[in-house]
Amino acid sequence: MKSRETGDNDADQPSEGVEQSDLELVRRAQRNERGAFDLLVLKYQHKVIKLVARLLRDPAEAEDVAQEAFVKAYRALGSFRGDSAFYTWLYRIAVNTARNAIASRQRRPLEYEADLSESEQSNLASRLRDTDTPEANALSEEIRVTVNEAIGQLPEDLRTAIVLREVEGLSYEEIAAAMDCPVGTVRSRIFRAREAIDRALKPLLD
Amino acid sequence: MTDQIREQVSALLDGELPRDEIGLLLRRLERDTELRRAFGSYALIGETLRAPGGRIASPSFAARVNSAIDGQGAESPVRDEQAAANLPSNVVFWKRPTVRTALAASAAAAAVLLFRPESATQPTLAVATNATPNYSMAASPTPAQSQRLASYMVAHSQYSTPIVRRNVLTGLLAADPGLTRVSYEVGGAP
Amino acid sequence: MRRAAFGAAALLFAFAVNAAEGPQEDARSWLERMSESLATLNYDGLFTHSTAGQTDSMRIVHRVDEKGRSTERLVSLDGSGREVVRTLEEVHAYLPDRQVVLVEPRGDDGSLLKALPTPGPTLDKYYVLSASKGNKLLGRDVIVIDVRPRDRYRYGYRLWLDEDTAMPLRSVVGDESGRPIEQILFTRLELKDKIPARDIEPVVDAAGFQWVRTGRKLAAMPQVPANGWRPVRVPPGFRLVASRLQVLPGSPMPAQHLIFSDGIAAISVFIEPGPPTGPRPPEASAMGSANAYSTSVHGHVVTAVGEVPAMTVREIANSVVPVQHQGAAVEMPAANAP
Repeated sequence: MKSRETGDNDADQPSEGVEQSDLELVRRAQRNERGAFDLLVLKYQHKVIKLVARLLRDPAEAEDVAQEAFVKAYRALGSFRGDSAFYTWLYRIAVNTARNAIASRQRRPLEYEADLSESEQSNLASRLRDTDTPEANALSEEIRVTVNEAIGQLPEDLRTAIVLREVEGLSYEEIAAAMDCPVGTVRSRIFRAREAIDRALKPLLD
Repeated sequence: MTDQIREQVSALLDGELPRDEIGLLLRRLERDTELRRAFGSYALIGETLRAPGGRIASPSFAARVNSAIDGQGAESPVRDEQAAANLPSNVVFWKRPTVRTALAASAAAAAVLLFRPESATQPTLAVATNATPNYSMAASPTPAQSQRLASYMVAHSQYSTPIVRRNVLTGLLAADPGLTRVSYEVGGAP
Repeated sequence: MRRAAFGAAALLFAFAVNAAEGPQEDARSWLERMSESLATLNYDGLFTHSTAGQTDSMRIVHRVDEKGRSTERLVSLDGSGREVVRTLEEVHAYLPDRQVVLVEPRGDDGSLLKALPTPGPTLDKYYVLSASKGNKLLGRDVIVIDVRPRDRYRYGYRLWLDEDTAMPLRSVVGDESGRPIEQILFTRLELKDKIPARDIEPVVDAAGFQWVRTGRKLAAMPQVPANGWRPVRVPPGFRLVASRLQVLPGSPMPAQHLIFSDGIAAISVFIEPGPPTGPRPPEASAMGSANAYSTSVHGHVVTAVGEVPAMTVREIANSVVPVQHQGAAVEMPAANAP
């Protein structure tokens, strides 16, 4: 059963492939393959931190709380059944962890309510995004600028492929249909786009 | 060739890698830090495109999660090795010395469990266990008590399984050994 | 400014990540390999032993002679001078702070693998075993073995085994709630072709120490009545694996020594005549992760010791009765009034 991913962006639905792939990683993590869990961390760390930073009064604690959420998720892996997308499950854990962190500090959260409905969550997300201040992360800003510049310099077919994948969330098959090319070509284009952007990013992060 | 593998990593992130290729790629990823870095970078690129601005994880975040899962505490320099240095060796496993700080002393260590306890099986034996034993203030062991316990431990150690025998004997050697606590049940209830 | 805070590493781990080994070697065979390595290899290592609030450094030397017989020396490096030496025939525990050497005949024939209960098929009933790849230790690839108890009667263990030799490079004992309570971690380990016999000799100066023979070979013993003691109820999974007589200094009669094991942990129950002054109050005590509990039953002192939670030794000690009482209505031994 595919459930709607309640992420930062309404268009950010996991494609069937991503859901299945995540599920595969989760299964492996449940069998003690820590490498699989580590990849899930790498994949969702930014999302979780963004989410948690918005819920906490003090965004400086975001990493600590996010770390706690991932550790909780790891320990609770046994109870994840695949009824929802992995990120949806992780999202709830992160929200609960943030809520507990707030409660333990006895502060009222910034416009937070338990068990938000999906639409409320996405509304909340967009409202909060508007109040997100630039001071939040100077490096993040640099990264954004670098990525945008790098994308702008890509050949058109590479740019289209990666935007359709990352922003529109289309599967390789769907992109192949949209761009009228084989799936293998889509895969290669997305890869090359990423490589080019990665090259631009590397000096920023080393 | 490396491009081919990196392309697989890219496909893995998109959930487009054939399932039977995942296992091999995961093993590669575990050995190759650059490959893992690439995976993380591709994920970051996607995040930036979708939701620019706002916080991102610091580069060491994932490592800290890993560390927290392992429950590893801070490391401090080891005391001097007092090993006889002159012995010839065939195979040496050695690294820059580290010593774990005392276990369960820090809140962080205490919070991380070695395993999740099962929902406690109600012991069928139990009469005595349900009653909280009534302990008076713990007393220091007398030398005779320590020695008696040490003799029991030495005798017992020969029947421990290899997994635990080392622990039993080292417990005997540890600097403040003998009894770590002695308690007396006062009118305790069986 | 933020950038500086991140430091040199980019998006990578400080540690290698883990992935499961194929199903080739399961946890149990890893444990068997480990036992074999511990018993048959020559090694000299330094390790730390940690419990809450305390860490000690120690050295272990293990030697196997040309006949395959093993000797071993364990020494504390923290100035207490304590040493345990397993010679071919005996175990000597040197306790300089007490000016005492405890001497015990070795129960095995020199091959440490025997006389040990091998994990039987029922092991799975009480523990969950699993194996997975671990982070490197001492520059070595390791397999992490988890021995996880299914109930609160026993401890859990996590062992980091060198993939090549199955030697344990690190081990952690977890109590019945999953909290780590004891750790052994090697900081240096040498595997050698040969170890000089002198490395097994103690360095402590034992002049003037009192030698306390805590055991004696049975042949020299007078006849003892075939009186038996048994616990009427045993914690689940534990079965009697050995029964012998233990001679204790100062006692006219040897103590009966029963050994129970669930395949991973062992509990010794000693039954000895009680002091003429009357029953002592029950005592609970601990040494490292091992627990002991001592109580009085029918004029005897029953002591249970083992690497199990306190509850377990208490229950087994409290349920021991003389054999001829079995069949009659078994009353739980009452705790003695002060």
